[in-house]
Amino acid sequence: MTSYFKEHIDYTLAVVALALVAIGLISIYSATYDAHVSDVATKQLFFATAGVLIMIVMTFLPFKLLQFISYPSYFLSILLLVSVLILGKTVSGSTSWFNLGAFRLQPSEFTKITTALALATYLSRTDVNIQRFNNLAVATGIVLLPIALIMMQPDTGTAMIYAGMFIPVLYWGGATKFTLLSVVAPVAAAVAALFGITPFFVTVIVMGVLIYLTKENRILAAVVFSAMVLVGISVQFIYEGLKPYQQKRIATFLDPGADPLGAGYNVLQSKVAIGSGGLIGKGYLHGSQTQLNFIPEQWTDFIFCVVGEEFGFIGAAVVLGLFITLLVRGVGLGSIVKNKYGSTLAIAITAIFAVHVFMNVGMSVGLLPVVGVPLPFLSYGGSALLTNMIMIGILLNLYSNRKEY
Amino acid sequence: MPIQDDINLYSKRRMLYTVIALVFLLYLGRLFQLQMIYSDEYGRKSEENSIRTIPKEPIRGYIYDRQGRIVVDNRPAFTVTIMPFEFDKRNINLLASILEVEPAYVQERMKKGEAYNRFVPVKVKRDIDFKILSALEEYRDKLPGVDYQIESKRFYTTPARASHILGYTKEITENQLKTFGEGYTQGDVAGATGLEAEYEGALRGQKGAEFSTVNVRGQVVGRFDNGKHDIPSVEGDDLLLAMDFSLQTLAESLFADRRGALIAIDPQDGGILAMISKPDYDLSLFSGVTPADIWRSFNTDEAKPLFNRATLTRYPPGSTFKMILAAAALEKKIVSPSWKVTCTGSFRMGSKVFKDEHVHGTVDMVEAITRSCNVYFYQLMLKVGLDTWSFYGSEFGFGKPTHVDIYEENPGLLPTTEWMNKRYGENGWTRGFLPSLGIGQGELGVTPLQMAVYTMVLGNKGHYYQPHAVKGIIHKATHDTVAVSVDKREIKLGAEAWRVIREGMRGVVEKPGGTGGLARVKGIESAGKTGTAQNPHGKSHAWYIGFAPFQNPRIAIVVMIENVGYGGSFAAPIAGMCIEHYLYGRLTRFDKDVLTKQPIAQGTARKNTNVANTSPNSGERTPVAHNSP
Repeated sequence: MTSYFKEHIDYTLAVVALALVAIGLISIYSATYDAHVSDVATKQLFFATAGVLIMIVMTFLPFKLLQFISYPSYFLSILLLVSVLILGKTVSGSTSWFNLGAFRLQPSEFTKITTALALATYLSRTDVNIQRFNNLAVATGIVLLPIALIMMQPDTGTAMIYAGMFIPVLYWGGATKFTLLSVVAPVAAAVAALFGITPFFVTVIVMGVLIYLTKENRILAAVVFSAMVLVGISVQFIYEGLKPYQQKRIATFLDPGADPLGAGYNVLQSKVAIGSGGLIGKGYLHGSQTQLNFIPEQWTDFIFCVVGEEFGFIGAAVVLGLFITLLVRGVGLGSIVKNKYGSTLAIAITAIFAVHVFMNVGMSVGLLPVVGVPLPFLSYGGSALLTNMIMIGILLNLYSNRKEY
Repeated sequence: MPIQDDINLYSKRRMLYTVIALVFLLYLGRLFQLQMIYSDEYGRKSEENSIRTIPKEPIRGYIYDRQGRIVVDNRPAFTVTIMPFEFDKRNINLLASILEVEPAYVQERMKKGEAYNRFVPVKVKRDIDFKILSALEEYRDKLPGVDYQIESKRFYTTPARASHILGYTKEITENQLKTFGEGYTQGDVAGATGLEAEYEGALRGQKGAEFSTVNVRGQVVGRFDNGKHDIPSVEGDDLLLAMDFSLQTLAESLFADRRGALIAIDPQDGGILAMISKPDYDLSLFSGVTPADIWRSFNTDEAKPLFNRATLTRYPPGSTFKMILAAAALEKKIVSPSWKVTCTGSFRMGSKVFKDEHVHGTVDMVEAITRSCNVYFYQLMLKVGLDTWSFYGSEFGFGKPTHVDIYEENPGLLPTTEWMNKRYGENGWTRGFLPSLGIGQGELGVTPLQMAVYTMVLGNKGHYYQPHAVKGIIHKATHDTVAVSVDKREIKLGAEAWRVIREGMRGVVEKPGGTGGLARVKGIESAGKTGTAQNPHGKSHAWYIGFAPFQNPRIAIVVMIENVGYGGSFAAPIAGMCIEHYLYGRLTRFDKDVLTKQPIAQGTARKNTNVANTSPNSGERTPVAHNSP
């Protein structure tokens, strides 16, 4: 029995995930300690418990069943996304919630998993070759459909996660550099256009050079380049044509911290919190930035500041170390799972974690613009935590079944 | 299922590992930069963010007179403050109209405060009245960041003004802010003149601070760390004066609207009993906020009420200075006390004629002092010479600061040969300049304070004490009174010199023919000297210096009245009444049974309610003939 567990359970991954959940609970408790939202930590503890249970269930779910439910769950989640647009509850300007009694569910979180499942299922089909245009178009469609629905909520950060997941999966599935660029370039141009004219031009030039370097057929290259420029310009054109309040709303999509006290307030306070932590931090529950709520709703997207302020450089480095272990473990899993479906799924899930971590920490330390993306396991949010625990469960399941074809 | 070939797979895996590693290295580097390199800077920012310092003003020390009566007290005053961080600049006009000031003024105060620290309240208007206070309360909700602090302002409890000696406090100037350094901020009040300025360090106390934590909206959410770091303000120390405020009150009333100065000093220790400079002003005008028009009127008044005549003005001393010459002559044995001069009413030297008021006949030194014979001293000055005379003048404290503890003083002017050479050139002056100096005229300038010190030394036979208004400082923490240290030196004259000079001065008051008879006090033997100093501004300045009781003086007094005439007529009566009041504890001259009165201990005297109305010329006696200039 012991040897069965040794063979089938990736203890490192499980321990890392549980450690991150624990750190998350500690940090949320601190962030909400004096913010008159005392039930937040309790709720998160409830979701953490539920999450551990669901993680165990997912770990021991029969592998074939996982494959079997991939498409149906994808379609179900798309259905949920549509209905949430119609029936959902609006929270901070974004309609992405279902009210289920005391708790609210965010379908866009679970759709991350189902999209990864559907993508892995499609790409692992023997008759699918990512090099072929129609196959690539279907794969892109699988990802674009939830992106489009989520953008209508709107929730830019979550939508960007899908794009961020898609590229490593394509790369892992054998797409050429040109194929990757033809997917990346228009998205990058569109996003850059929203941030301003200079980022747009820089992106177009960089992408143009990269496309040129792939030495692909001139005509095809020209088509991709024009598509990129066209998408970028049309985004800009649409943006210019909007009324000021609509522009402001878009600016808020890009900067959902909603900047109550002027430009860059959150990022500045976040940097102050982290910077003032120093080497060993101010001590648990003693971070003034955290305890005095200088960062609005810090327990959600800016939870990393709590770690940085109260546990210092050492604490922040430990958290980063745990994440790097998780990501390396996930990529490693992708390379040892014999089954192509499993391998693709492992990479897709790891990519989802990676994009979350990169975007969230990058924002907290002031290297990336403020986009509302939670830090996996640490940020408050039941749907997100359950999603993350399910994904860990799937990774554990894949490890357990890594030798099956 | 096409299995990807392993080589390809591993290169892809390495690529992904590399991307992960690079991003994490970048982030780790960024964390190192924020938390290790700039951590101090961010630490400071986080403190500024969340900890608000609310300064606690100390209570300024009280001032007591020599009997322990409080003379300078404190009263609460409301000061309007703005917290720049919270204040909405659109409200500047509203606030200005409530405070009845110009919007530009509010703006300026606000800017200065913001530049210093936008989380620290800046004082906008001090000592607001009830009307403004209630208007502020009414608009409080509309004026976030506007608040008021309770500060103390000076309150004067005596009918005496004592404006120049007590001095006033004023909002600190930019210059003081630089020199005073820590512990002071914009809008603080500091002593500006007199004792308030001189003893600023003792009176002020120490500011305290309360630290509060504030949330992101700047609202106070509680005491920082339960107030463990709060610094209580420390009350300022009290001053115990040598002054007697009942004497001060009487002296001020006797002066009425005359211009001049009066100083009474204790010959036993140099403590200043009273000090007047007239015209004076009401200190309470300066205790809150002084309206600009009051300032302007004080500054443009040709009578210069803000100017302390007692310590800052150089006057010619006139005949009161004759004892310097007598001391020099006797001590250097240039003449004997019995040396006589026959006064014919004038003295001729070459083509110059020096005048005397009277024909005194043949007089010796005692009589020359008593009757203030100029001719005697013209001739004596020529015998003594400039530098010997000047040496003794300097011995008695002329021509240099007295180091009194009242902020500012003028050193006066006492000429020497060296000074005359510099002033007129080596051949530009002659012995013809000397006779005038001998009677206290000419290139000679003294302050009333220097005269008081000189009178004290004549009274106590040579004990020079540094004059001082403050006897001791009462430390708030320990309630100990620490005596102020006073410099002391001896002026050594022979017993015969003291006897002759003092006998001459006794005669001034007590003998028929003495020029200071109006200073006489029933039952007390006193001594003095009159002076009538010619000056370019009109009538002569009236001087009287005196001490009493003659044998063991307890008061030395100087009275100087500008441009009225004879010292014996105008200054001597005031001095006499002050001496009487100080030694008897009240004015006894209006009592029916004057002759039975004996000097009694101070403090047990009956209250005299007529004091304030007593005019300088109310003495019933007819003035003795004016014998002297």
